[in-house]
Amino acid sequence: MSVDKLRVQLQLCLERFRRGELAEADLAQALALAEPSPQQLLYLQAGGSSVDSRVIGMALIAGGEVQEVPADPEQWPYQTVLDAIRAGWRVIKFPELALLVHPDQTIGLGCEFVLEK
Amino acid sequence: MLPATYDCPPTLSDQQILDFCRDGYLVLPGVVPEEINRRTVAFLEEHNGPQPDPILGEEWFTEAVLKNPAAAGAVRSLLGAHFRLPGMMANHRTHCPQPAQKWHRDGGSIYNRRLDYLQVFYYPSDTPEGMGPTEVVPGSHFVRSKSNYMRHYDCIRHGVRTAAPAGSIFLTIYSIWHRRGKSTGEGVRNLLKYNYWRTTPPRRDWLADLAFNFSWIHLSSGRPTFEQFMDGIGAAELFTWLCGLEQEYHFQGGQCWPVSAINRAPYTQEGLPVGLWPHPL
Repeated sequence: MSVDKLRVQLQLCLERFRRGELAEADLAQALALAEPSPQQLLYLQAGGSSVDSRVIGMALIAGGEVQEVPADPEQWPYQTVLDAIRAGWRVIKFPELALLVHPDQTIGLGCEFVLEK
Repeated sequence: MLPATYDCPPTLSDQQILDFCRDGYLVLPGVVPEEINRRTVAFLEEHNGPQPDPILGEEWFTEAVLKNPAAAGAVRSLLGAHFRLPGMMANHRTHCPQPAQKWHRDGGSIYNRRLDYLQVFYYPSDTPEGMGPTEVVPGSHFVRSKSNYMRHYDCIRHGVRTAAPAGSIFLTIYSIWHRRGKSTGEGVRNLLKYNYWRTTPPRRDWLADLAFNFSWIHLSSGRPTFEQFMDGIGAAELFTWLCGLEQEYHFQGGQCWPVSAINRAPYTQEGLPVGLWPHPL
């Protein structure tokens, strides 16, 4: 569900209702927009724990499926975590500080952010 | 009964050994003769299962592939004299096109700073990008994880695809992260995989340059997975072990060896094992 699209449709319905023009199709479209859609997940591994760190790994789950990410990193849709936030992704997990317990060990690919829409 | 041992002249230099310790892999493009490649492919058509062990009994294969001068010379450099030949053979035979495999390290992987065996791969056919060459993450033999905790990873910026011509062999440290790359072409991709084993204690008996100056070397790759210098520190510890100087190495922290510096000092670097000090010519 896109809340933004639903809001626009409901606004349209309201305007048409005030003009006496509201049709069944307008409400049906709003109902369709309110249908739940699968959660989208974006895994971004970054070189540092700051959101403006460069992304070094990416995986995307959308439409209920694992999506193919361009093999060429320069073609990735987000070069930093901040790029993804600007595109509407919300961070639901920050890099795991528990991995810092052993300072001489490198654990995992990078500083991993998990984001959702 | 264990498989036979083999010895041959080493072929790698100090710098190549250092690079291998840091990167965890080495590609030797097109080192197997074309006739042997064709014969191997034909053999694998007849023995098209995942474990074509009978090929280990073929003298032509043993001589040209397992004892290939370039590949065995690299193995000899890393595992020392009289290393043990493979006793098992796997074939990752893929009917292309296929999606990319999930990232993993092979079962039985452990993390340490020693090298007692090598995992080696051989492409008997041309394996360009479209045929799904193995992709590796350089330096990942130092990155701790478990296979079932890396399956959500997909594209990795510094992953390297080992696209190579027929007859290419590449050596890896067993725990390196890898996967079969996505293939878009049509046909069969064979990839033979086998292990060599050390039988002698480590010593610096490859093509060592006794005048090599190890002080202030730029060993770290700068790969963003690592905190600054950390992959170079791991590589130096492994290299020192390979030299048989494990007892002399202790990373004290700070700017001691093997941390590099932009301005080289005229002095031997603090912390450099005495056994690696350059010998006067």
